[in-house]
Amino acid sequence: MNRTMITATNTLSQLQKQMDIVSHNMANIDTAGYKRREASFTDLLFQQFNNQHDVRAEGNRLTPNGIRQGVGAKLAQSKIVMAQGSIKSTDRALDTAFTKEGQYFRVLEQSENGTAIRYTRDGAFYLSPLSDTETMLVTGNGYPVLDENNNPITINGRVNEYEITTNGRLIAKMENGGTSEFNLGVVQLKKPQFLEQKGGNLLGLPENMAELNVPVNEILTELNGPMRNEISIQQRALEQSNVDMSKEMTDLINLQRAYQFQSRSVSIADQMMGLVTGIR
Amino acid sequence: MFRGFYTVASGMLAQQRRTEMLTNNMSNANTPGFKEDQSSLRAFPEMLLQRMDQQGVTIPTQKGLNLPFNKRIGSLSTGVYMQEAIPAFKQGDLKETGLGTDMALLDVSMPENGSVFFTVAGPNGETNYTRNGNFTVDGQGFLTTASGLRVLNDAGNPIQLISDQFTVNENGVLTGEGGVTARLGIGFAADANRLIKLGDGLYQTEDGNALANAYNAPDAQFKLQQGYIERSNVDVSRTMTDMMTAYRAFEANQKVLQAYDKSMEKAANEVGRI
Repeated sequence: MNRTMITATNTLSQLQKQMDIVSHNMANIDTAGYKRREASFTDLLFQQFNNQHDVRAEGNRLTPNGIRQGVGAKLAQSKIVMAQGSIKSTDRALDTAFTKEGQYFRVLEQSENGTAIRYTRDGAFYLSPLSDTETMLVTGNGYPVLDENNNPITINGRVNEYEITTNGRLIAKMENGGTSEFNLGVVQLKKPQFLEQKGGNLLGLPENMAELNVPVNEILTELNGPMRNEISIQQRALEQSNVDMSKEMTDLINLQRAYQFQSRSVSIADQMMGLVTGIR
Repeated sequence: MFRGFYTVASGMLAQQRRTEMLTNNMSNANTPGFKEDQSSLRAFPEMLLQRMDQQGVTIPTQKGLNLPFNKRIGSLSTGVYMQEAIPAFKQGDLKETGLGTDMALLDVSMPENGSVFFTVAGPNGETNYTRNGNFTVDGQGFLTTASGLRVLNDAGNPIQLISDQFTVNENGVLTGEGGVTARLGIGFAADANRLIKLGDGLYQTEDGNALANAYNAPDAQFKLQQGYIERSNVDVSRTMTDMMTAYRAFEANQKVLQAYDKSMEKAANEVGRI
């Protein structure tokens, strides 16, 4: 069997996966707080063929005995790129944007599997009414935004104006003249590659956290107490995704060409096999 | 039997091997740090042909003994095989990625055939080498390759970091959060051709011993570039051309094989006809 076919098909399927990643980035170019992923390749296993068992019969060689042949390339890793996105002013009181890399809001995701704390950089918040007087601060998907003690933020009474300070303090100025204040829950990621994308613009710790035996505080730091001074939030603005359309497009063209080259290899191998069957 | 039958068959096999190798190069045109293989074909060891001559030396005995005389015709080569796949250790282009965990080795001046490599702890604990600086930080904070193999410092120990925020200067000194400092281990191979490719971007020395420390190699000058990766040095247009050449050589061999087959057919069906 011609190994060219195996090598080329291996690589084709992996190139397809990279294309998936590129198109996912492009699809999320307008998702607030989205961080692009970048994929990279590595070569696959090498196999050694010994033409001569005795190296003395080989004459002048530059390399050690035998020939080593690879079997294509595979996707090595897809890294999340934490670079800051550009800030877009929206002039909406409940829109917030982080201006420091690696800081995320804490939200409570509710699903059929129970509730879990997730992290997001999408700072477009909304209010969800709980009763006639009570409202809760939620994300665009309706998940509650958590405060510094991981409790949902509920505001009692009618509010005239919202103010969010640089350090993530939400100040609601009430109609009756009083104020109620909350500290938005923020984390600083130390090892962002460890987190999983959970969909809905959320990041979360892996499901098998217990097996991995990695303490949570080595992955991220909850910015509570005096550490809140490190938080950097801008109100009335949203962070746009850090996807660069022209870069993704260039990558896509490159990928498509690589895909074509591999398909050419398959057809060349096919023609060679045709020649073999056509010997007689 | 026609000797050439097997000669052309070996030609076809050699060209097929070459196509396989070129396809692998092409597959890795986007693999960081990949070094393309170059093939060398070698003729089979030559055979010596001799002829037994009728008119030999007649020894003047009673009945006139005739000893056949051996006459040398010359040498005959009976085929070809792909002898070597030699990685070309020439510098690949640097590409900016903007990721702090990406690093590239830039050769400033290297002795002929010499090359420098990042040091990595291999899957079985041995020391491996790679040009692929597409690193990452794992859950425990170790600096690893994309496959999770730990990158070693100049003393041969893994590098543990607190976060993925660190800087690497041109001389390979890494400074991380919380006062972590380390110098990346860089190995120097005086003759890089003697290294064995293992796949996954890794190389190993023939005898499994460690390479010399590149910082102490006087004639090897190199720089480390953080935020860059070294692209594969595969030239796609040349690879495609080579592939077409190999294909046509394969085809030519096939045509010769067919010609031999025609001769055999004649011998079998026409020469012997009464």
